Amino acid sequence: MGSRLTESQKRLLTMVLERGAADASRALAQWLGRDVRLDVSDVDEVELEDVTGQLGPAEALVASCSMELTGKLTGRLLMVFEDQVGMSLTDMLLQRPLGTSTEWGELERSAAAETANIVGCAYLNSLASHLSLGDSARWEGALVPSPPSFRHEFAASLLEFALMDQAMEADRLLLIKSRFTSEGGDLRWLLLFVPSGEALRTLSTSLTLPETH
Amino acid sequence: MSHPNPSSLVEIVSVPIGRWAVAMAPVQIRTLLGSCAGVVLYDRAARLGGLAHVVLPDSRGAADHPGKFADTAIPALIADLESKLGRSMRGRLLAKIAGGARMFQTGAATNIGRMNHDAVEQILANLGIPIVARDVGGETGRRLTLDTLSGIVSIRIPGGADYQI
Repeated sequence: MGSRLTESQKRLLTMVLERGAADASRALAQWLGRDVRLDVSDVDEVELEDVTGQLGPAEALVASCSMELTGKLTGRLLMVFEDQVGMSLTDMLLQRPLGTSTEWGELERSAAAETANIVGCAYLNSLASHLSLGDSARWEGALVPSPPSFRHEFAASLLEFALMDQAMEADRLLLIKSRFTSEGGDLRWLLLFVPSGEALRTLSTSLTLPETH
Repeated sequence: MSHPNPSSLVEIVSVPIGRWAVAMAPVQIRTLLGSCAGVVLYDRAARLGGLAHVVLPDSRGAADHPGKFADTAIPALIADLESKLGRSMRGRLLAKIAGGARMFQTGAATNIGRMNHDAVEQILANLGIPIVARDVGGETGRRLTLDTLSGIVSIRIPGGADYQI
């Protein structure tokens, strides 16, 4: 069966992820030219049967940019947008009136993927530099993301695909959600960090506070 | 002659991942699939049907989550159908299967959709239940809806229209 994190390990992981979110916020704000914050809101273990509702209505169409993680901590990082909200991102980036984009064309997909790339790399670089798994070795450069791949998918199906690796080993699945806000309002974008079953084993056996230097 | 569209009044039962449901006409049973397999069993005479949302092919003896695995979910679904009908389902059931997509090209679970499909095919063959329609593989999720009144299974993929199998 799968590995479980203790409550103190979850708190530690949340602290590290918050630093990643702060670095990703700065990168995103620079990219978008406006104040945007990314906050780690949930480090949740979810029952398998409850997974489908984690992104809202199961049948809702969402856009996602997925990066596979290789290196010492494997898994998947997904930036997920509600359909219309994601297209608004493109309008924002291209400095067009909101509502100009009405479908996921090549330009819209490219803009979403590039945004995910910027956020994801900042998040992962920060994660790698702040994580320590008991061997006092820093992980800088050890979390390697693939280029983002764009998907337009049912919310429930997307989660099923993303969490399948964990579902092969456990009935309770770890899902880390971070939300984007701008000027106090929820942008309705999510960053999902889904460790693999192997990564959960690594974290559960050796996640410790990093040594201070 | 025009009739009011009854579909808007039909009860829809949603099946979560790793679970199953059975229902008599006119109820519809629905699930959202990715790499999981949707197994529909239908008794045309009784207008009774069931749907299992199978996550993995083999329980390896685990009994605590029967809906998750093909080898435990399908017998559990048949048992519920028999309980609902009050008699054996032997020789009465037809199967339709869908799902088993592969969204990501890498990772440990890359081939799980194919493995689910193969397991379901083998188990249904062993039980002597004919598979009359399939909609499997591909790279996108599916919304599967069984209409217990007609036995029709409707599939929708993201951004597409419904089609029937």
